[in-house]
This record gives sequence, structure tokens and C-alpha cells, in this order.
Amino acid sequence: MMVIDEQVLADILGLMSQLAGDWEYSGAIGPETRLLGDLGMESLDLVVLGTMIQHRYGRLPFAEYLAEIGQRPVEERDVTVGELVAYVCHHRGRTMAGGPR
Amino acid sequence: MTSKALCLGLDGATFSILDPLMARGVMPFLRDFIKRGVRAPLTSVMPPLTPPGWTSLMTGKRPGQHGVFDFFQKESLEGEYFHFASSQDIQSATIWSLASDHGRRVTALNFPLMFPPPDVNGSVVPGGWMPWRQLRLGCHPPGLFDRLKALPTFDARELALDMALEAKAIEGCADEEYADWIALHIRREQRWFDILRYLMREEPADLIGIVFDGVDKLQHLCWRFLDPSCQPAEPSPWEQEITALCESYFRQLDQILAEIVALAGPDTTVVMASDHGFGPSSDVFYLNTWLEQQGYLTWAEDSNVQHQETPLVGFGQMTRHIFQLDWERTIAYAATPSSQGIHIVTRRPGSDQVMAPETYLTIRSDLADALREVRHPETGRRLVNGVWTREEVFSGPQQALAPDLSIMLEDGAAISILRSETFVQHRDVPKGNHRWEGIFVAGGPGIRSGAAVDELSIVDVAPLLLYSLDLPIPVDMSGRVPHEVLSSGELERRPPQSMAGSVPVVSPDREPVEAIYDAESEATILKRLRALGYVE
Repeated sequence: MMVIDEQVLADILGLMSQLAGDWEYSGAIGPETRLLGDLGMESLDLVVLGTMIQHRYGRLPFAEYLAEIGQRPVEERDVTVGELVAYVCHHRGRTMAGGPR
Repeated sequence: MTSKALCLGLDGATFSILDPLMARGVMPFLRDFIKRGVRAPLTSVMPPLTPPGWTSLMTGKRPGQHGVFDFFQKESLEGEYFHFASSQDIQSATIWSLASDHGRRVTALNFPLMFPPPDVNGSVVPGGWMPWRQLRLGCHPPGLFDRLKALPTFDARELALDMALEAKAIEGCADEEYADWIALHIRREQRWFDILRYLMREEPADLIGIVFDGVDKLQHLCWRFLDPSCQPAEPSPWEQEITALCESYFRQLDQILAEIVALAGPDTTVVMASDHGFGPSSDVFYLNTWLEQQGYLTWAEDSNVQHQETPLVGFGQMTRHIFQLDWERTIAYAATPSSQGIHIVTRRPGSDQVMAPETYLTIRSDLADALREVRHPETGRRLVNGVWTREEVFSGPQQALAPDLSIMLEDGAAISILRSETFVQHRDVPKGNHRWEGIFVAGGPGIRSGAAVDELSIVDVAPLLLYSLDLPIPVDMSGRVPHEVLSSGELERRPPQSMAGSVPVVSPDREPVEAIYDAESEATILKRLRALGYVE
């Protein structure tokens, strides 16, 4: 079972809520919220969000993660906030050398 | 009085377009400013591309020193994955950080590679591939985005990047979309200027820079409407309309430049520069298709030939090559069209088998020779006019992350990394593509008047800006203070100061292979190369 750091979850939820306010997205944002399907993000948004997340949490194999998402069937090509948080928690500080990017 | 400097970036600007516009009275301010100042061709770096070009301007260093080679950066020396290039990839001080470190205030608007924003003394709104939905994250200091959001003309969606619109510049759009697309860029430059005007009035800075990137976008898509030599003898009403709209863009840009220079005041040294030049482009070289035909690359079984209508790689496809190639049978590939580079597979993905150095050097040398001999299948003329190894073109502490080979094509032909039935395709109408020769214009205190000088390098801009601010110039900058643009006696009156450079973060070169390159691995690699017909 994936262990989720509540602080990371709170940070990323806060980040997404702050950004979504600029998009005039009025719905609630929680772990089940889909970044593309619900928030209307595009693929480059995910790439840049990954840059900011690595800036905060250190280097992650984000390119591989994006590649894996890109290979999914079109209807499954999305990420929930909870999945993103789980990915960060799982890989943080364990997979790549180097500090924050 | 504290000295001030202003850097006006015109992305991709070239005198071959600007000179006729000035001559026709479309850009009277620029024409008169040049008469009062200095102009020169400005040579960009390899590749002549926005991220390495502007980074070289901001650092005074070449890509092998600052570490930015493309829109995407290699994740690791041997790996096949790339990440989105960001400010974290710049392994050098910049004019912004250097001025800040000396207590000077800076404003940097719409420069690429400024995300995440550097912690400078002043204001940053990043440009480049900064999506509008996350522009807030790119603004520095905290609170700046909300202040800008309160401006009446602020519109993040039009200010920052919209990928669908960006794609049109590269991949083209329907005729009926041109007018709206150009109008958007006219509005967009105005929005950037509104932000700059607000900051110049409310939060004055000593070093101010802004990039207007609509120049690049219009030249990509609308080259045939901008280049007088491409104009038809009897243009259609639609062609006349688009040509007039393009002129409107440059007329407005000229007015914006005039207002900024007036706001900066007569005591400010003004430098206008482009990150690269531009020229017409009619051919597309399908580099990976050519590599396949030469036996260096094998497509994955499920990769498809691309439709001709979209010959250039789209956005959001930075990992396309991962799945399009058969990594068991590929030894060289191009990962992006923009880098103009070829990577040699020295370690097969998922394997610890590393190519021996002598094998690598042989493959690279043979591949370079083959590239030099590529001929256009229809005209027979040479297609590649320059091939360089990374040591030749990217010498420096970051060279290990650069492509193994870099190429420049004849006549500014574009590169595609997609699969095609033929390795060259011809466009029906010319588009604009990057060239090395950009523009340099300067004026103000200490700058010569009415002079046209020989070409300068883009790495000379940072030393000149620091010199104009009376700040010391790091000794590790590649560029120099271009004395030929300065007024007589200026250097004697105010000699440049120097300071120690920063200790470079060296990207280690490929790991020693002895520890893992055993006889079995060697046999496997040779078998793979033999299967490709590469070795006997």
C-alpha cells in the first residue's frame, strides 16, 4: 500500500487550488481531481508542474513518469492529484542523484 | 548618479526583415535610433535557438559552459530521457544574478529559462514555454502576480504560452486563421509592454530586460509576407491583408520600443539584440529517416510514417522517440528537431552494456563523414554544410550533456525527427527558419553614434551590459566588452573591472567503461553493430 505524506498532499492541494483560482475553476479540488480531465490542464502544464515539484522536493524520474502517462490509452491519459502525490512520496529522495532542480 | 541599462530582446530579429521595414517607414523609431547609435550583426551560438541563445546572452557564455543546449535537456549522460529545460539547468551566473549580487535592482520580463524564477533583487515574469495556467508560479517576488493581475489589461492566457497557438507558428495554420493569429501577437506585445510600463513607473530598476517574441513567431509562419523577395507580383486580397497585418505588428513594436526608451530616459544605455537570425526555408530533412536508411537507426514495429501535413514534431511529445525507436537496433538518433543534434547510443536502455570508447569514436567519425556527403535527392546539391563533434562546438564543463554530433543544413532547411517515406521533403511555400546572424543595436551614454561595426557575438552582450552598469565582469565569461561600439576614449575614461568567475558545476563525462565493459558485453555490442551491417 502506498504511503502518502500528508504534508506533501496538503502542499500540492494548496498549490493546485491556488493555480486553479487563476483559471476561474470553481470546483473543489481533492485527491480524486484529475489534472487534465477536471482542471483542464494540458500536457505542457504537467511538464512544467513537474519542474516546480522537483524544485520543491528534489529530483524525480519525472520524464519517465510523463512517458508512461503518454503511452496509456487516450481515455486513461490523465493523473489525479492523489496519484501525483503518491508518485512524489514514493520517489522522493530515492531515485535520482542531485538536489532540487 | 547610478548607471542604468536596458536590454530590449527581439526574438529572432534579422536585419534582412528590419531594414526594408525601416526603409518603408514602418519602423521610424528604430531607423532613427540606429542613426544615433551603433548597429552590428550579432552571431548566435550553436544551435541558433531560443533557449541556448538567450541563455548565452544572459550569461555571456556558450552552451558548453552554461549547460543549455535545447528546449529539452538530457536527464543523464547515457540515458534516453530528456526533461524540460528550466532555470535550474543554467550552470552559471546571469546578468540578473550578478547585478542583484551587487545590490542593483533588476526587471526581467519574458526571458526563457527563468522558471522556476531566480531569487533576484527585483521582478521576474518568465517567458519561453511558460504555460499561462502556471504563470503565477513563475513570477518573482511573491505577490507580483497578484499586483499584475490587478492591471486592467492583464490577461495571463494571452500573455504566456498557449501550446495550440505556439504550434501554429511551427506547424502552420489554415489561411483563415492567420489574421486572428497575428492580431493576438499584436495584443500580446502590448500586454507585455503594459506590465513593463507599470514596473518602470512603480518599481524602477537599474537593469531592465524584456523579450518580444512575436518577431520570431511571425517570421516562422509569415516569412513569405515579410520578405520582400518572396512577395508575389500580384498579391491576392488575402495576401495583401496578411502583409498589412504583419506590418501592423512591426509598426506597433516600433512604437513600443520608442515608449520604453523614452521611459528609460537619456541616461540609460540601451541594447537591442536578438537570440538568433532568420531566413527562408523550403526543405525539411528527415534526420531519423536518413539515419535509418544508413543503418544507424531502426524504428519500432508500431511506429508510423507521419502525414506530410505535419512534418515537424508537435509539442508535448518530448518522449516520442522513446517509443518510436527499436533500442536493440539503434546506435544513433535525433531526439528533437530543434537541437540540430544527433545522440549516439552508448548504453542500451535497461542494460549496463557500454560502448567502448574507440568504437564510439569510430562510429561518430564515420557518421560525421556520411552526413557531410548527404545530397539532396532531387538537386544533387549538398544538404549538410557543417558537422561538429560536441568537443568542437560545446567545449566546456557541460559538454558531456550535449549531442554527440551537431549539424547545420544548407539554405536553413528544417529538421524533422519523424518517420517519413523520403529523407527530404519540399514545402510548397517557404517558411522562416533560424539562422546564426541576429541583430545588435545600441545607443545611449558611452555608445558611438552613427556607426555600423563588424559582427559581434551574442556572448558580448552580457559584458557590455555589466560594463554599462559599472559592474565588474566575471573573468570566465566567453564574451568581451566590445570596444568598437563605445565612444572614443570611453574605455580609457572608465576601464572595465573584472571579478572572479563562479566555480563551474562540471557535468562528468561518460563513466569509465572498464568496470562494466566485459568480454560478453563487447560481444553483444559487436553483434548488434554487425546485425546493422555497421561492422564486418
